[in-house]
This record gives sequence, C-alpha cells and structure tokens, in this order.
Amino acid sequence: MSARGQSVGFAGVSRSFGAVRALLPTDLEVRAGEFLTLLGPSGSGKTTLLNIAAGYLAPSTGRVLVGARDVTELPPRRRNIGMVFQSYALFPHLSVFENVAYGLRARGMGTGELRRRADAALELVRLEGYGGRAIRELSGGQQQRVALARALVIEPDVLLMDEPLGALDRQLRQHVQLEIRRLHRAHGRTTIYVTHDQEEALVMSDRIAIMREGAIEQMGAAEELYRWPGNVFVAEFLGESNLLRGTLVALNGVGARLKVDGIDRVIDGFAAAGLSVGRPAAALIRPESVRLAPGTGLKARLVETVYLGELLALRLSLEGGYGVLCRRFARDGLPEGETIGIDWDPRDVRILPDEARGASRREQSNTAEREV
Amino acid sequence: MPARGLGFRLAVHGAGSLVLGFLLLPIFAVVPASLNQGSFIRLPPEAWSTRWYARFFADPEWLTTLLTSFEVAAIATAVSAAFGTAAALGLARTGGRLRAILTGLILAPMIVPVIVTAVALYYVGRYWGMTGTVAGLAMAHVLMCMPFVVLNVGVSLRALDPSWIRAAEGLGASPARVFATVTLPTILPGLFGGAVFSIITSFDEVVLSIFVAGVQAKTLPVKMWEVVRLEFTPVLSVASTLLVALTIVLFVLFRLAAARAQAAGAGR
Repeated sequence: MSARGQSVGFAGVSRSFGAVRALLPTDLEVRAGEFLTLLGPSGSGKTTLLNIAAGYLAPSTGRVLVGARDVTELPPRRRNIGMVFQSYALFPHLSVFENVAYGLRARGMGTGELRRRADAALELVRLEGYGGRAIRELSGGQQQRVALARALVIEPDVLLMDEPLGALDRQLRQHVQLEIRRLHRAHGRTTIYVTHDQEEALVMSDRIAIMREGAIEQMGAAEELYRWPGNVFVAEFLGESNLLRGTLVALNGVGARLKVDGIDRVIDGFAAAGLSVGRPAAALIRPESVRLAPGTGLKARLVETVYLGELLALRLSLEGGYGVLCRRFARDGLPEGETIGIDWDPRDVRILPDEARGASRREQSNTAEREV
Repeated sequence: MPARGLGFRLAVHGAGSLVLGFLLLPIFAVVPASLNQGSFIRLPPEAWSTRWYARFFADPEWLTTLLTSFEVAAIATAVSAAFGTAAALGLARTGGRLRAILTGLILAPMIVPVIVTAVALYYVGRYWGMTGTVAGLAMAHVLMCMPFVVLNVGVSLRALDPSWIRAAEGLGASPARVFATVTLPTILPGLFGGAVFSIITSFDEVVLSIFVAGVQAKTLPVKMWEVVRLEFTPVLSVASTLLVALTIVLFVLFRLAAARAQAAGAGR
C-alpha cells in the first residue's frame, strides 16, 4: 500500500432538504495524504459534506473532484472510496474475512491475490487469525477495526470516517484514536474524518475544519485554531476558554482594546479579523494563560480548586458575574473562598468578534443570497 | 411473580390442555380413521390395517390430483416468492399514504370473502380461457399466497440496516450484487416462511380451485370434497392424514429455519 490516495476538492458544493439548507455553498481542498477532520456540533453540515464526498447524497449545487476526476455524477460504487460508518455497518451474515474481502470480490479479484490482500489488511489492524470469526463474536473495538480493514483493503482514493468512535467507551476511544493515527501514518491515505469530539480532532488531524450551521467557520492546524481562533464560536468549541465580553473601543491593525461589560476595566490583546470599533467583541484568555498575582491584578474570589494530578484547576469568580478558569502546575494548595489577584500577558489575549449576539450565519447568508 | 401453589398450576395446565385438546384432537382423528380395516369410518378402529393407503396409492385419480396439487403449489409459491419479495422491497421504499394503500390492496385477498374472489376469477378466467388449466389455477392461488410472502419478507426487511446497503455500494458492488449478497441473506428467513405458508395455503385451498379448476386441473382437496359428497370411503382419511403430515413437516422446517436465523442474528 504505497499510494497516498488522491486530493479531494469541493467547489461551491451545497445541499438543501426542502427549505432546510443543510450545507451552504462550500469550497474545500483536502490534500493528497492529508488527515482532515470536520468538527462541529450536530446539524452543522459535516455529515452532509461527507455523504456528498461518498456519493450517498447528491449536492444541490457544485462539483466534487477526486484527484483530477469529476465524480459529482458517479454513484458510490464507481468512486473508489473507503467508508467507515458510525454503526460500522458490518455484514452480520458474513465472517470477518468475508467482510474484509467484500470490496475485493466486488472487483472480481482472483482467490490468491484476494486472500493475500485481505490477510494483509487484517494484519494491519492487528486482527491476524480472526478471519474465521463471526462478527457478533467480536468486541466493539474489534468490530471497529474490521470496518477499518474493510475500507482500507480496496486501496481507496479517499478514506471517509463518520464518527467511527461514537459507539466506544471513553478508554477504548482514546486507544483507538492512537491506533487510527498510527494507521494513517502507515498507509498515508487521504482521510476525511467527521466528529463532534474536539479531543479526537486534536489527536489525529493534520488540519481541522470547524463547521457550524452548514458552513466552515475556520480551518487550520490544531495549534493554529487553538491559538488564533477567528471568533467566539471557534474559541469555545476547541479547548477551554475564558471569554470576557464587551465592546471594542480601539483597533490598530495588530492590537485591539476591549471595554468589558460590568467591570470597570479595559483589556488589550491581539486583534482577530472582522472587528470594528463600537461592535460587540470578546477577550479570549486560555486557562493556562491566567496567572495568579497576589496583591496586584484583577480581584478574583477562588470558588473551587480541583486537583488533577500534575495540574491544579482553579475556578474563580470576578465581579460582574464572570467565571474564570485557571490551570497551573500543582504546588501548594490554595484555600477556597479567598480573594486573590489574577493577571495575564497581553500577548496571550485574543480580541474576537462576538457575532453570536448578532444575527446567525445562516440567516445572514440567506439574506445575502436573496440580494444576489 | 410470586410462587403459586401446586393446585393452582395443575388447574391452569389442566384447563389449557383441555382447550388445546378440543381444538386439535378432531384433526388427528383422521389418523386412526385412516388405519381402520373396515369400510366405514369408525373410532376407535376395530382392527388396524394399511389397506386404504394401498388403495390410495393404487388409484390413478388420487395420485393425479396429488400430483396436480404439488404442481399448482410449486408454481404458485415460486411466483408468489418472486413477486411478493419485489412488492415487499418496493413497499419498504414507499412512504406514507401510498404505502398504506398499496399494502391494503396486496393483502385484500386475505380479507375479501374467498367465495367473492372465486366467482370473480371464474368470470375473468373464462374470458381469458384460463379456467381448467394448471397455470390458471396457480395464478388464482398466487392471489391467496402472495400476501404471506409480502408480510413475512416485510418483517425480516426490518432487520436490514440501510447502512449495510450503503457500505456494499461504497465497496463497489453493483445493485444486483448488493441484492444477492446483502438483501437476500437478510430476508431469507422471511422468504422461507412466506414460501412455507404459501405451499400450505395452496395445498389446502378448495373454494377457488372448485370454481377455477374444472376437471382438468383437479387438486387433492377438490377430489376429497367430491368424494365426501359421493362415496364415503376411508381413503378420504388417508388423504387427510397426508395433508396433516405435510403441514406438520413444513411447519417444523419453518420453525427450525427461524430458530437458526435467530441464533445467527443474536448478539449483533
């Protein structure tokens, strides 16, 4: 399995179900060999986009390309895709081996080559010797790996995965995440992975596209999205965040100043795109950027301390009703109920547009389209 | 449930056995009657004998009707299985009111009084020249048999996860291959059950057969009906016993197949 798969391109792809716009016109380029995760809450359009890539759903507008091939009109069986379903969709009346060999038999492969390839795929997912078992004899994690082997054995141009870890318990999920990452490194196949779980996205992805209300909100590497979220939605969806909401009072190319609602205080930080003075905005400070500054800084009451082993999680409350999370390496315990000071380095602060208090994206887009 | 006294259990089981006996024993009365040596049907038999079985299998007319019954049942079941499966698959893809209307139409022959269907088929069959032929009778039986296939296949279709179909398509299988490797294995228990009910129904059907069959396509039940009216002979009990035996064998086969399918599907 040396080929790395093909790139996948979506050009102006959208999908409506009656009056419901499940996916707004979307452009997306997945590079050959890349592991791209579509991350978003349910109803954000991520599964719609995946099903359009697979051919299970026809787009209302736009084209889908695999490599240089326009596959928009092709049925799934002519697309050479590997799909892993949330329910695994293994055939219960076939053995493990026959499940894995299914796609090879559909391609009319001869017995010898078929056996060699299917065995190699089972070995890849560490299920050597399980070929003769019935599906119902396998655990959930093993079934998941059979589904993966069945999708990979046909050497697909793209591997598509629809919340494949949703049915596993937490501990197993973490194990399988690492397994999928190992497999991706080994086979190097273009992968589009759908999940609503940010941890899965962070562990496995080369790039993450965060989706919301039928559109890609922001796309980039995990670190980029975590450090430079474009708006409040992305900041809240990926990682834990402290958001102090207010009104933008000053803006100069790089930096911005925010007047916080309910507190007599301005906060400076790096400016995200799309800010304008006088509009709602929010200051993002990640929990690890909050410093304890006894005597100086912003007055905060320590509500709760949680010991997490190497880390201590502190929950603080500011005047004006703001809750602030702080994470620091565990040293001395701090007494709950005490009032202390907190501050932060302005270089760790992002000032983001807070459009959640305005109209939703989908409504804006609908309006825009009507004008066109 | 709290443990009941022995007396209570005896009473319940006793009453249940009585009811079952009342329902079933008259049917099995034909078995000793067929083994009676005398010329009159008498219970219990005065002396045991298999002479009426010999008479049955020596009589070309009994054998011909038995053969015709097998022929008609085979054709009716094959046609019902093919069209009933197609109908069940189609219904599963149809939604809302249309599905309710179509289901009602397909099941109507089970509900409409058989005598009405029989008279109607008599006229239509005469018009098309299909009365008195094995093929024509088999087509009439399809009306009664197909609902069993549609119902049974419909039930087993509910076990079919739509994502299996999508997975098979994604793996490169053509529609025909998807049907042969995914759909058919899943609905096989239902198809088998529908076929068994279909054979039993066709074998047992008298009213339609009398109207449509005429003399050329006389089935075993029709012959029995004639015999009851003309000459009352213990050979009738032999034919009845054979019918009961066939029904039991088919039904046991069906239960075994269903149990196997359930075991295969368990723990999915």
